Amino acid sequence: MRPDLQMDESFYKVEEIRTLTGNAFSLKLPKARFAFKAGQHISLGIVGGNQSREYSIYSGENDENLEVLVKEVESGYFTPQLRRLKVGRMVEVHGPFGKFGMEPEAAKTGKFVFIASGTGIAPFRSIVRTYPGIDYQLIHGVRYAEEAYDSHEYENSRYVLCTSRENKGAYHGRLTGYLKTCTFAPETHFDLCGNSNMIFDALEILREKGFDRDQIHCEVYF
Amino acid sequence: MNIADSERVSSVLEGMGYEKTDNEEDASLLGILACSVRQKPIDKVYNKIAQWNKWKNKRNLITFVSGCLLPADKEKFLKTFDLIFPMSELAQFPDMIREYGVVTPAGLKTPAVLMPKNEHITAMWHIKPKYQSTYEAFVPIQNGCDKFCTFCAVPYTRGREVSRPSDEIIEEVRNLVNQGYKSITLLGQNVNSYGLDKKGEEITFAGLLREIGEFGRTSEHEFWVYFTSPHPQDMNREVIEVIASFDCLAKQIHLPMQSGDEKVLIKMNRRHSMDKYRHIVADIRELIPQATLFTDIIVGFTGEGEAEFQHTIDAMEEFKFNMAYIAMYSPRPGAASFRWEDEVSQEDKKDRLHRLSEILKITSHDYNESMLGKLVRLLVNGTDRKTGFSTGLTEGKVIVRLDRRDDSLMGQIVNVKITSASFLSMSGEVV
Repeated sequence: MRPDLQMDESFYKVEEIRTLTGNAFSLKLPKARFAFKAGQHISLGIVGGNQSREYSIYSGENDENLEVLVKEVESGYFTPQLRRLKVGRMVEVHGPFGKFGMEPEAAKTGKFVFIASGTGIAPFRSIVRTYPGIDYQLIHGVRYAEEAYDSHEYENSRYVLCTSRENKGAYHGRLTGYLKTCTFAPETHFDLCGNSNMIFDALEILREKGFDRDQIHCEVYF
Repeated sequence: MNIADSERVSSVLEGMGYEKTDNEEDASLLGILACSVRQKPIDKVYNKIAQWNKWKNKRNLITFVSGCLLPADKEKFLKTFDLIFPMSELAQFPDMIREYGVVTPAGLKTPAVLMPKNEHITAMWHIKPKYQSTYEAFVPIQNGCDKFCTFCAVPYTRGREVSRPSDEIIEEVRNLVNQGYKSITLLGQNVNSYGLDKKGEEITFAGLLREIGEFGRTSEHEFWVYFTSPHPQDMNREVIEVIASFDCLAKQIHLPMQSGDEKVLIKMNRRHSMDKYRHIVADIRELIPQATLFTDIIVGFTGEGEAEFQHTIDAMEEFKFNMAYIAMYSPRPGAASFRWEDEVSQEDKKDRLHRLSEILKITSHDYNESMLGKLVRLLVNGTDRKTGFSTGLTEGKVIVRLDRRDDSLMGQIVNVKITSASFLSMSGEVV
């Protein structure tokens, strides 16, 4: 039996838990038999539990592990269970799903602005790790600077941190406030990921700036 | 979908030697194909099984439940039903019953074979259904959903999108047509995602429709092929072009909109914009001007204020639907939106449903009135409860009430002249 192959083909052993902040962490799972496109998501459940949730894939297509980024919701049902997982426990993974992401050809020639709130940065990390040469700007809206998950991985000139509750980012305020101040080239493609309110507000701002809806792609976190 | 599933369950049970009874109290095996889209049907399941379990004290009875089941309901049903299984494991149903020690004529000769899990859904499709009608049939082409709309629990109950092999579908359609079936509906949670899960190793939905259309062109039988439900995300001009090109592909399109407001669509995670929806409708109107357009709408979803609802009103007026299945939002356990506050009052939901229904009355009436004096082909499929006269559906699925009862026409497609119009239906006479 291959080391990553367990009982059921959708069962994966947790190989590593990486703490990112007081309530955010990533789960690393074996990648060997899991093919996906950067930007896609999976359905994740705990073996023996009866619930699952969807998570964008946080790792790149060619990374050694399949990784997801999780933020524990204090009063939540599912994320506290994920938080209590230990290395070696089994999780159930289905997928990958979704069309959010990047065509390889577009990644070579296109100009992209990635707009993320909180853990909505996950698919963009996957894209940037998969296509290191991509021409992008990443606008990341968080409450506190510590939520700039793995921000050291992005070039300084391409990563804009917007912090709403403290003045420690490149912009103090909501990312939509920053977006209003920006000017973008007409051919820019926009990819938005995060909660529905942020996505809707950002969508409105971009449309007011004259961008066509076809240039804007959204992935809602719920 | 539950009709198609129940036809396959009937087929399996009759294959084991069971006979159907219309009287629950005579049955030795009772089951339910549940639907988790709303809470009410699930509440009924709990009531039913409580009653059946009382009967068990007096006689031998096996109970089962299948269909759309949420994990939380499944856990509870495990304690109350004898058998619980997903529809994808229907082929193993006889083995499950045999494990209860029930001897049936077929059970004595059929070997128990356990199939690998990933072949279960395929096995279910291989079961020849026992069709309930002699002129109308439902053909599953796809199972499951990968869309994760926040109001819906289907991805958690039916599993993920799996497409049935196209040669099987075409063969089933061909057999039905040759047996005289007139109305065939291709079924799936996302029919127009058909083939996408096979990553290039299966034809697309447009390709499937084209092959059925080509068969229709060579067939001497008249029949109409419908499909439900498509998702606007995967709807494209090619599908509409194919429908326009073949007579047997019915000129009726069911395109769920759910809301006319961008913000609500985002909150619903519908993955299509109103621009996209508008383009699809424009393509339909351009390429199939005679097509009727049906939709699904949810009113009172979390985040739908009066301003957002106004956009749905505007869309209803703009698209002039022939039929809209309008539902008041109710949170479903298992769906993502269940975790959100159900913030629109029941009164407001009822009011919004009423206001949309009033628009539907006007738009459907306008269409029906435009048909006055015209000849239509009508599939006679029932009788009017009030008058007792025959009724039928046009190719566009508009109800037509005839001026007399003629049981010899049941299941036939006939020429009818439209003589009067009201909202949601028309009247006519056979010519």
